[in-house]
Amino acid sequence: MESAVVESRPEVLAALARILPREALLVEAEDTRPYECDGLTLIRQRPMAVALPQTEAQVVAVLRLCHRLGVPVVPRGAGTGLAGSALPDAGGVLLSMARFNRILAVDRRACTATVEPGVRNLAISEAAAPQGLYYAPDPSSQVACTIGGNVAENSGGVHCLKYGLTLHNVLRVRGYTVDGEAVEFGSLAPDAAGLDLLALVVGSEGMLAVTMEVTVRLVPRPELARCIMASFADVAQAGDAVAALIAAGIIPAGLEMLDQAASRLVEPFAHAGYDLEAAAVLLCESDGTPEEVEEEIAHMSQVLRAAQATRIQVSRDEAERLKFWAGRKNAFPAAGRAAPAYYCTDGTIPRKHIGQMLKSIQAMERRYGLSCPNVFHAGDGNLHPLVLFDDSDPDSVARAEAFGAEILEESVRLGGTVTGEHGVGMEKLNQMCSQFDRPTLDAFAAVKRAFDPAGTLNPGKVIPSLHRCAEYGRQRVVGGALPHPELPRF
Amino acid sequence: MDATLGQLVEQVRGATQARTPLRIRAGGSKDFYGNPSRGQILDPRPWQGIEAYDPSELVVTARAGTRLAELEAVLAAQGQMLAFEPPHFGPDATVGGCVAAGLAGPRRASAGYTHGGLRDFLLGARLLDGRGQLLRFGGTVMKNVAGYDVARVLAGSLGVLGLLVDVSLKVLPLPRAEVTLRFELGEAQALERLCDWQGRPLPVSGSAWCQGALTVRLSGAEAALAAARGRLGGEAIAAADASAFWQDLREHQLEWFAGELPLWRLAVPPQAPPLALVGAQLIEWGGGQRWLRSAQAPARIREEAARLGGHATLFRGGDRAGGVFSPLNPALLAIHRRLKQAFDPAGIFNPDRLVQGL
Amino acid sequence: MQTELADFARQHADGPEAADILRACVHCGFCTATCPTYQLFGDELDGPRGRIYLIKQVLEGQAPTERTQLHLDRCLTCRACETACPSGVKYGRLVEIGRELLAERRPRGWRAQAARRALAWVLTGGAFAPLLAVGRLLRPVLPMRLGAQLAPARAAGTWPRTPRARRMLLLAGCVQPALAPNINAATARVFDALGIEVLTVARAGCCGALRHHLDQQAAAREDMRRNIDAWWPAIEAGAEAILVNASGCGTMLKDYGVLLRADPAYAAKAARISALARDLCEVLPPLVAALAPRLGPAVSTRVVFHPPCSLQHGQQLRGVVEGMLVALGAQVLPFADAPLCCGSAGTYSLLQPAVSATLRERKLAALTAPRPEVILSANIGCLTQLSGGATPVQHWIEWLDERLR
Repeated sequence: MESAVVESRPEVLAALARILPREALLVEAEDTRPYECDGLTLIRQRPMAVALPQTEAQVVAVLRLCHRLGVPVVPRGAGTGLAGSALPDAGGVLLSMARFNRILAVDRRACTATVEPGVRNLAISEAAAPQGLYYAPDPSSQVACTIGGNVAENSGGVHCLKYGLTLHNVLRVRGYTVDGEAVEFGSLAPDAAGLDLLALVVGSEGMLAVTMEVTVRLVPRPELARCIMASFADVAQAGDAVAALIAAGIIPAGLEMLDQAASRLVEPFAHAGYDLEAAAVLLCESDGTPEEVEEEIAHMSQVLRAAQATRIQVSRDEAERLKFWAGRKNAFPAAGRAAPAYYCTDGTIPRKHIGQMLKSIQAMERRYGLSCPNVFHAGDGNLHPLVLFDDSDPDSVARAEAFGAEILEESVRLGGTVTGEHGVGMEKLNQMCSQFDRPTLDAFAAVKRAFDPAGTLNPGKVIPSLHRCAEYGRQRVVGGALPHPELPRF
Repeated sequence: MDATLGQLVEQVRGATQARTPLRIRAGGSKDFYGNPSRGQILDPRPWQGIEAYDPSELVVTARAGTRLAELEAVLAAQGQMLAFEPPHFGPDATVGGCVAAGLAGPRRASAGYTHGGLRDFLLGARLLDGRGQLLRFGGTVMKNVAGYDVARVLAGSLGVLGLLVDVSLKVLPLPRAEVTLRFELGEAQALERLCDWQGRPLPVSGSAWCQGALTVRLSGAEAALAAARGRLGGEAIAAADASAFWQDLREHQLEWFAGELPLWRLAVPPQAPPLALVGAQLIEWGGGQRWLRSAQAPARIREEAARLGGHATLFRGGDRAGGVFSPLNPALLAIHRRLKQAFDPAGIFNPDRLVQGL
Repeated sequence: MQTELADFARQHADGPEAADILRACVHCGFCTATCPTYQLFGDELDGPRGRIYLIKQVLEGQAPTERTQLHLDRCLTCRACETACPSGVKYGRLVEIGRELLAERRPRGWRAQAARRALAWVLTGGAFAPLLAVGRLLRPVLPMRLGAQLAPARAAGTWPRTPRARRMLLLAGCVQPALAPNINAATARVFDALGIEVLTVARAGCCGALRHHLDQQAAAREDMRRNIDAWWPAIEAGAEAILVNASGCGTMLKDYGVLLRADPAYAAKAARISALARDLCEVLPPLVAALAPRLGPAVSTRVVFHPPCSLQHGQQLRGVVEGMLVALGAQVLPFADAPLCCGSAGTYSLLQPAVSATLRERKLAALTAPRPEVILSANIGCLTQLSGGATPVQHWIEWLDERLR
């Protein structure tokens, strides 16, 4: 391990100023404060400096300099992440990759696109559209989030039940390790020699390497897609309908659920035409050839009816289908219309427990005195409860945090995970203590060291310290009855 | 802890203390694969059986020693499958060996939701590391980004990071219908055709070109197959013959695989032009996997694979002492060494098998 | 987002409104994607979310420097972010308040103030037409782009004078009659063909937007009152609507009610003006079918329509003109990044020439990629900004007028 010298702030800033043009380095509080958080506003921290490099050479220079001086580096894309993975480090450099926003190539023969990390997710599909291709993973923030961030978070989306996550659609990542050493993970071939390090880098929340270029797989746009909107009188019935669809051998292109509170939240913005009287609405999409879609829509409708759907509406045209999805995709921020702040959690559970989980959340709403619309990837069992709260009221903030934590604990108890697609970041460090035992957490730390021996690339995220887990365990006992006595404690 | 598992843990702890290498081996069906290794046999077969399987969850969790054939039979009974069609290479292949080898069959390059290799379907794994600790990575749900995705790294790791204990795999419904078509085409034409098809919404679920014939499998709803057949043309193969063909291709039982010449596997970008190498070829995965029987110098074959943007593996036979995989560049090798150190500090698991000297 | 207003902001007339707008923002960042300056600079501070943060800092009492000023000045106020915002943040209004507060907290230097006053005077006063004439005479010696944009105006042609039973007012505008007199005349001819008489009132002038966006709020309100007084007799006499063929001005007219709400003498009248204001595309679509027998073939059928920000974001009228053009037999070609601003943005092109020029280049590249015969738009600012390239530029009402027989 190299020994790093931690220099004082003025010296670091002077050194940075030598390698970055003036407009590429922000140091005053006035300029750095707007960078103090990403999409998670609960946790904020001003960085020592923000670097906005424009050339690859500048990125390498910043990395080498920071590595030499022992200064932490936190990479950032569009800042749309919901777990605080891009939260700045007080003594570190926030490395914004936003200026690298060129699409380098769209290759129709290879069905690939090679892009810089700051290219927006949706921009790839737009660029590939003339070739009849698109990039399948479509997180709700796809208009704004960048591919570099998608790689870091292994982003999912509403169509990943059928088409996979970022991991399944990225072929190669070229980048740099924290010391500025060039690395390439994956390959344009179906696989690469050695261990599959690409699988580690995707979803590593910017802690293992800095992404400089990404080659993604493009897939042919289906000839037709249609979406069913099915209404249910009870959330548990809607949950059961999801399991029934899968059990019938159907893999819908998208399978999403909104409860009544969520549909009522988004309808004023999206005018999606949701059934606002239903306790829950399922969006269920089929894509393929027209014949295939017709057959599948009929099959899905039959299963949904048998599962007690009270109303079934099939999108008549592309415009209507997009409207159905527009409501779903804008659901999180639409919460801004109902409350000053929202806290979106991301637990994933086995599908068969969806109904039970929604009932538990309803009980928690009463207990914490906060409302919690639910909108989620039902097909994957990936929940997105939106706990609405008032961030100017400390008591409301505390209740929201406890509410979110309890949902995640419940997810683990039901055999799931604390995060399906948003990442751990800073937000779910405590819950990592519940999901993993100490040896496994230590193994994560060892993986981190294998890529970043000095631990200066996006430090402090994802892997909770022994101390934190001990504190968290204590807090939960002190704060009341231990929520899940059957879970192992450390 | 279960006594059977306890014995495996004890064996690993003992080997770590004594710093004696262990060679993980169950049915021995993939003994031929990878670099020559050494050590005392560590056999996970006593630890076998399916731990959990709920068809509506599309996940199965099986112990490493479970026979692969048994797992596939259980899935088939529920109308489901391992979509990456792993080759068994023998009746005794186990789930652990299948994951550690990371190999996939014809469906690897299919269009749509069955696309992907083994790692794409690996949701979670329990690993017995070099300290004798049981580590659990990933889980049993479709989406999980809690912590690094270490489980997927174990796919194709050839056991160098530890002993797989159990794995959770995503399973998929069997296709409703399949049809196989054959086209008389030369190599370059076949590659061109495959490239073109890849960019169109066609339900291709397998392709193989050899000896002037391109065989293509389509999977999906009847209606979709009928529409695709109309567009593609070609000559349809009788169902029984087709199913035997794909099975034999997957298991390397086709006539083409017989013989003594070294068998190379080149993984290249699918759109890469025909190889500038001497030898018979069988092309799979839309052009991405090219089997080559050739006595040409390994360096020449590797050079050609690298030129095309891929890598070459001496899959079977040949002189294996020089290393069967394409060498890694120094930056990646350094990461490999540190990962090995992290999981297996005493260096006891399958020495050399994946990377010589590791 | 939570905001702790400083004392001065709490006491300011617009402070509480700003705090309310800020509360709606959940910091999701969807807005950055449609912000032209964020696309250009890749800096959070040059996107809506970052500017909201900067404004929040001002409201919370932190002393702003010239950098906050710079980032707020760089905002085009195109309001594309409002269209993108799922939380309903009224960014346009917030940035107005932010600029006003900033001007109070940190006055511009006298040079900058003088330049802004002069600009408003030239563009809206009587000096613009003569200056433009001089500029056109000097074209041969001017830099190429400026020269190209000062191309001679299309002749206005005749203004129909037939009295009709149905009558509508038309906002004549300030710079438009000098730059492109044919737009108003074409409007009058198309409506005349539909049996509607279009009236202009001499005393009505600039809608007030120019001064409003140059931090001269009081003078802007004077413009509004003058126009209200000028139109009022015609409104009382039964004019059905106030037509606007420059969407930037239309957005302003629709805001009269809000901007004069505190003026007891004018609040009610202003609200009535806002209620009567109509972009052409809000009136014509149901009527054009009646026009069909009177239309000849189009000179150019492969067209692109650049939707002005003031139309698609400011007035939230998206796809209306395009739909009408298709109904009229045009082939409306799709192009990339339609929600992004062309860089005109009122006086922005004069105050931020470098940013404006880059946005113009990008917009022209996107618009001409599908190889249209003509670029159509709906706002004088955009039309001027986009002119001077290889592809002709026209108001869509002129395109329609050309087909009248």
